[in-house]
Amino acid sequence: MAKQYDVLFRLLLLGDSGVGKTCLLCRFTDNEFHPSHISTIGVDFKMKTLEIDGIKVRIQIWDTAGQERYQTITKQYYRRAQGIFLVYDITSERSFQHIMKWASDVDEYAPDKVQKILVGNKSDEEQKRQVATAQGNKLAKAYGMDFFETSAFTNHNITESFTRLAELVLQANKKDLDVLRVSINDKLNLAALEEEEGVCDSSSDAQKTCWC
Amino acid sequence: MLFISRKKRKMAEITQALSMTPVDVGALRRMAISEGGLLTDEIRCKVWPRLLNVPVGSILEELDKVERENNKDYNQVLLDVQRSLRRFPPGMPDEQREGLQEELIDIILWVLQKNPQLHYYQGYHDIVVTFLLVLGERLATALVEKLSTHHLRWCHFFSKVCSNFLFFFNPEVYDFMQQAEVGTIFALSWLITWFGHVLSDFRHVVRLYDFFLACHPLMPIYFAAVIVLYREEEVLDCECDMAMLHHLLSQIPQDLPYETLISRAGDLFVQFPPSELAKEAAQTAASTFKDFELASAQQRPDSVLRQRRKEQQQQAPVEAQRGTMAVVQPTARRFVRLAVMGLTVALGAAALAVVNSALEWAPKFDLLFP
Repeated sequence: MAKQYDVLFRLLLLGDSGVGKTCLLCRFTDNEFHPSHISTIGVDFKMKTLEIDGIKVRIQIWDTAGQERYQTITKQYYRRAQGIFLVYDITSERSFQHIMKWASDVDEYAPDKVQKILVGNKSDEEQKRQVATAQGNKLAKAYGMDFFETSAFTNHNITESFTRLAELVLQANKKDLDVLRVSINDKLNLAALEEEEGVCDSSSDAQKTCWC
Repeated sequence: MLFISRKKRKMAEITQALSMTPVDVGALRRMAISEGGLLTDEIRCKVWPRLLNVPVGSILEELDKVERENNKDYNQVLLDVQRSLRRFPPGMPDEQREGLQEELIDIILWVLQKNPQLHYYQGYHDIVVTFLLVLGERLATALVEKLSTHHLRWCHFFSKVCSNFLFFFNPEVYDFMQQAEVGTIFALSWLITWFGHVLSDFRHVVRLYDFFLACHPLMPIYFAAVIVLYREEEVLDCECDMAMLHHLLSQIPQDLPYETLISRAGDLFVQFPPSELAKEAAQTAASTFKDFELASAQQRPDSVLRQRRKEQQQQAPVEAQRGTMAVVQPTARRFVRLAVMGLTVALGAAALAVVNSALEWAPKFDLLFP
């Protein structure tokens, strides 16, 4: 049986309530858009496998509740992430201002080499725009992050932004990957490598069917 | 035919209990718990206030207007109510639904304004919408206010022992979940919305509300435990991985045998009443702590870990780069596991803090999450 992926890692969607985190995720994994999506309570994730430079990359994307009150919970998941999307809504100045707070939480709770990108969602709602593209660019530059304006509604820049973060995470872990590829030549589980007790039964979980 | 006659008989018994002076609340509780629950929304309108001990005479004719602008909770409430379409019956005309959504916002803001010790959290709207759809605005407001200041805060206060519950009911499932570090977050939305957020069939939701309203405030936790135990095989067959297990558990099967599970939850409650659990939880905590002390004294895991890390870094710089996993050896595993257990407890406590500070109670949580 052909293995379904070479490497697995975890990405995390962060940002204020209502900026469209769940919609971005559904568009990316299922190519669906539900305007009447329900609020996310707690956390959940979806998976998708991409191919980057000939490597089958399975990404596990964790979606979180945006309300401040839930942050005690969601912060517990930061340490497991290798990549983080900081998402704001271009029609909400407030959600953009809060990016600073989200970024500083990430600095505090996520692993040091975590990769981040900035995403301004709802780019289709041009007439309601409160945050100029230039502002997003400037902030991303200040943080040394890549920046995308996306629309889950029109499917604009969705695959691009997810793929970009996946590439960054791959690059950041490339050294380990190369070494391990030689030595193990089997499915790699970056997510597990970053944990203290993460040795998995690799044969059985590589064969797990995808339910995305 | 038999079912119809049973239903008729039950309805007659409920009417009888309601007509007594004083109303026979004990009988009403039994009806709400027993098979089929309270049967119709019409009956629920009469019985739910009795179960919560809300005098019907005290219900306001009209709510005072709530100021929406400059209301600290309004934005979040609006965001959640706008995203609650799925909670309304599929065939409902848009206009009617939009009217109900406005009422939903009013009820939430009204209760929060009248009880400044309460704070809004996402999921609260899922509770309120259930009451609104069954009872209408006035009655729903009165009951939700009562529930928020009583049942919910109790449930949240004790939800931190949720993970321990499983231990007493089924140590194998508990151990497995501990090993996967899955925590209790998968059940968070179940508990804080009384399953309203996760069940798609409204009839199942109200059936559970009948049950919970008639029972001890901790019953939703027992019910959550019963669901996990009902899925024991699936759980133990699942890959022992936090993500996989979280995903499996958080997706509630929509075809659960609700009446059976309600009976089981009731049995569990009788077998392990909250007082019993509290006692055992305290003992477990104590023995865990003793183990921990012993492990520390014998193995000095801190220094063991540090020493190993140093050696590994010298010998194999690549492995050191991969993270701490590589240096945790079997002798230190016990220590790690204990640390993980501590983390899980912390996670449970964190969940508690979110909702508990929301429905406010312990002042120290308010300091943490103002």
